[in-house]
Amino acid sequence: MPTLTDRTRTLALLIAAALVAVSIFLPLWGMTLVSTQYPEGLRMVVYPSRIVGDIHELNVLNHYVGMMPISDGFFTELRILPAAFAALAALLAAAAFVRRRWAVLLPLVGMTALAVYGFASMRHRLWQFGHELDPAAAIDIPPFTPAMFGLHEIAQFAGYSYFSWGTFLPMVAGALAAAVLASDFRRSRSL
Amino acid sequence: MSRVRYGVTGLTALGLAALGLSACSGVKPEAPNQRTMATGDVQAAALASYVKPGDHDEYYLFYSGGHSGQVFVAGVPSMRHIFTIPVFTPYPGTGYGYDEETKAMLGGYTWGDVHHPAASKTDGDYDGRWLFVNDNANNRIARVDMRDLKTKQILGPIPNTMGNHGSSMVTDNTEYALVGTRFSVPIGSQYAPLEEYATRYKGAVTGIKVDPKSGTMSVGWQIMTPPFNWDLGATGKGPSNDWAFWTSYNTERATGKLEASSTQRDRDYVAIVNWKAAERAAAAAGAGTFLASGIRMIDPAKVPGVMYLLPCGKSPHGVDVDPSGEYVVCSGKLQPTSTVYSFKKIQDAIARKSFTGEEDGIPVLKYEDALLMEVPVGLGPLHTQFDGKGYAYTSLYVESAIAKWKLPPYAAGADPKAQVVDKIPVQFNVGHLVTAHGDTRHPKGDWLVAMNKMSKGRSIKTGPSIPESSQLIDISGKDGGIKMKMIYETYTEPEPHFAQLVHKDVLKNTIEFYPKAENHHPRAIWAGKDAKVTRNAATRTVEGTVFAVRSYFEPGRIQVQEGDTVVLHITNAEQARDEIHGFGLVAFDKNIIIDPGETKTLKFVARKSGVYPYYCTNFCSALHQEMQGYLEVVPQGTALTMYKGGHGEMLFARRPEAPAAPKAADHASAH
Repeated sequence: MPTLTDRTRTLALLIAAALVAVSIFLPLWGMTLVSTQYPEGLRMVVYPSRIVGDIHELNVLNHYVGMMPISDGFFTELRILPAAFAALAALLAAAAFVRRRWAVLLPLVGMTALAVYGFASMRHRLWQFGHELDPAAAIDIPPFTPAMFGLHEIAQFAGYSYFSWGTFLPMVAGALAAAVLASDFRRSRSL
Repeated sequence: MSRVRYGVTGLTALGLAALGLSACSGVKPEAPNQRTMATGDVQAAALASYVKPGDHDEYYLFYSGGHSGQVFVAGVPSMRHIFTIPVFTPYPGTGYGYDEETKAMLGGYTWGDVHHPAASKTDGDYDGRWLFVNDNANNRIARVDMRDLKTKQILGPIPNTMGNHGSSMVTDNTEYALVGTRFSVPIGSQYAPLEEYATRYKGAVTGIKVDPKSGTMSVGWQIMTPPFNWDLGATGKGPSNDWAFWTSYNTERATGKLEASSTQRDRDYVAIVNWKAAERAAAAAGAGTFLASGIRMIDPAKVPGVMYLLPCGKSPHGVDVDPSGEYVVCSGKLQPTSTVYSFKKIQDAIARKSFTGEEDGIPVLKYEDALLMEVPVGLGPLHTQFDGKGYAYTSLYVESAIAKWKLPPYAAGADPKAQVVDKIPVQFNVGHLVTAHGDTRHPKGDWLVAMNKMSKGRSIKTGPSIPESSQLIDISGKDGGIKMKMIYETYTEPEPHFAQLVHKDVLKNTIEFYPKAENHHPRAIWAGKDAKVTRNAATRTVEGTVFAVRSYFEPGRIQVQEGDTVVLHITNAEQARDEIHGFGLVAFDKNIIIDPGETKTLKFVARKSGVYPYYCTNFCSALHQEMQGYLEVVPQGTALTMYKGGHGEMLFARRPEAPAAPKAADHASAH
């Protein structure tokens, strides 16, 4: 793999920064539940800063099994993620003009850390909402963990969980940053 | 219509007498309208009207409900009754007339007589905004919003109107819903003895102004007319856009038994009204206008150009304007013809002042001046609709049939008989008929519904309260033929008159629940914790905001004192379609139904101490039966325990570290 020209390096990091920045406004993950009574499906779509979709209806249904209400205010993640995305985008943009390995390494480590945090926290929330059920609820069900990805079944619902652009684009940005870092290493070795 | 019924009885008696004279014993002539369908036709018809489970009908049929006071809505082509829009009559099924909002709109009336629904139009085509319906009984007009298919306004009683029958006709851009009085009475709610009918009694046609944004109706102006009976009307289109037409009967100005006294003349009149001229005259409020019961009334004898009279067949019902707006069709019930007038010839005659006389100063045009053709459609022609393909369809009450006939232009010397291209029997005694978008500038030309006044044993037995019948007729000519085809028949409760057959795409903006953002009720609440009950000891009034969601009410317990007036504002906090809740108060004769996202107010006096359960009346969920609470009416002199507020949200789990909230099951007993 050849080393990148200065111009390409700058461009790659700026694109990476833009991809992360725009992801603040893109959906990260979603789940659609379909049943006989809801042929159009009930949607839940998670953005870095908010959760949208048929949340009211999902909450009404979930309360029968004693599940906590889904609400933006409940999730600290929704306050952390936009700030983290913004910070990483700023670091990537800065790295475009600072030709040092650490300048690229810093956002790359940050992105990796954020990815680990994101997936771990999602995993935890899915477990939490399926397990911390109020024993006083009308319907007793065995605790469960909805799937993070793919088709699954919850009671009378067929569910489908999927990742979306807000997850994919930062991954592309990460790949770009990694390529720049590799190039920077090669360049320093060849000097 | 009863005059016609008597007429039919008369005709039948005459027919029987004739038969009696000529009959040989043992010969029974075949009744003409009892033909059975061929097997192939049955199969084709079954497929044409079958809407398989899960599929949608293509059209909304907005039936007038007659003296039921409601609008019935059926789907076409299935003809299934889908739902009812209550308008002038309380309707427990949707709680209409039980909450304070709809009670106020009904104004204490318990029934109405809906005859002629009219859908709002833009450029002469249905635009899916509103449906206007008249009340022939209590002189009112109502507006149904097509966005949520609910009655939004009832205007009236309209002054100087007795029997709002010639109503409702909507102008091309819904500037006005036009209405006319069926009965003439002394103007200004005064008394004059019936002996003075011909001179002191007056009729009126009225322009009901429609606010283009909100749809709010108000009485715009009235035109004073001679004491005829005004029957039915139509608005012009295109070239005749500024004009409206009404049929009259009893131009004899008779009283007593009109069956005979109002049928002496060979002709009655079509009123030709320039509604734009009337609007101008009313706005100018100049000479020839005066105030009657607060309404600006125009005397057409003194304001030239507002109204003309055109002779037409005896005792007409319908007058209809073809889609092009060029031809006006009027049928006298007691003559076997439909008269086709040219709007252009009418205007020419007016311009030439070719008048044969006047009625109370209103110029009378010469029949022949306006006439294009008398088409011999058959016996008892009532009402005409159009297909947009050059044909007209006229209901034949006496003959129990629909005639299909050709509209102008006609070749010089054309044979009127040859214009009738098909006739189909209906069962029985068709009154109105409706075609898809049949009174707009662009009829769809595929379906026709015959609304028959009699079903006479077509259904399984119903006891003596025989339902009406409606029949679906294919007029599409899909197979290239000109023949109408009988497809299906169904029965309705009393009693459809006219209808509007509106394509479902026209109602594409119709909602299925009320979005929370649109609920502007000052007492709407969206969380159980916001439920509140307050009592004003001085006025002895209890006011509560109640929260309803699957499957509980908050509060689940309300205490009031015996004799208190109780006002409850109940919000259905659901945001999903078909999650309708009811609030039925046992032994109080009270039940209101709240649609998702809606807030309604229930008011009652807690007269007698005791405990009265309330419960959700509209099935909502698996735990619908559990959705209940108690109204405790505490005896005088016993201390009240006021409701202290809701316990937060629904039965959601508490997080383990959160402070323990009372269980929802304890809501009722926790305070």
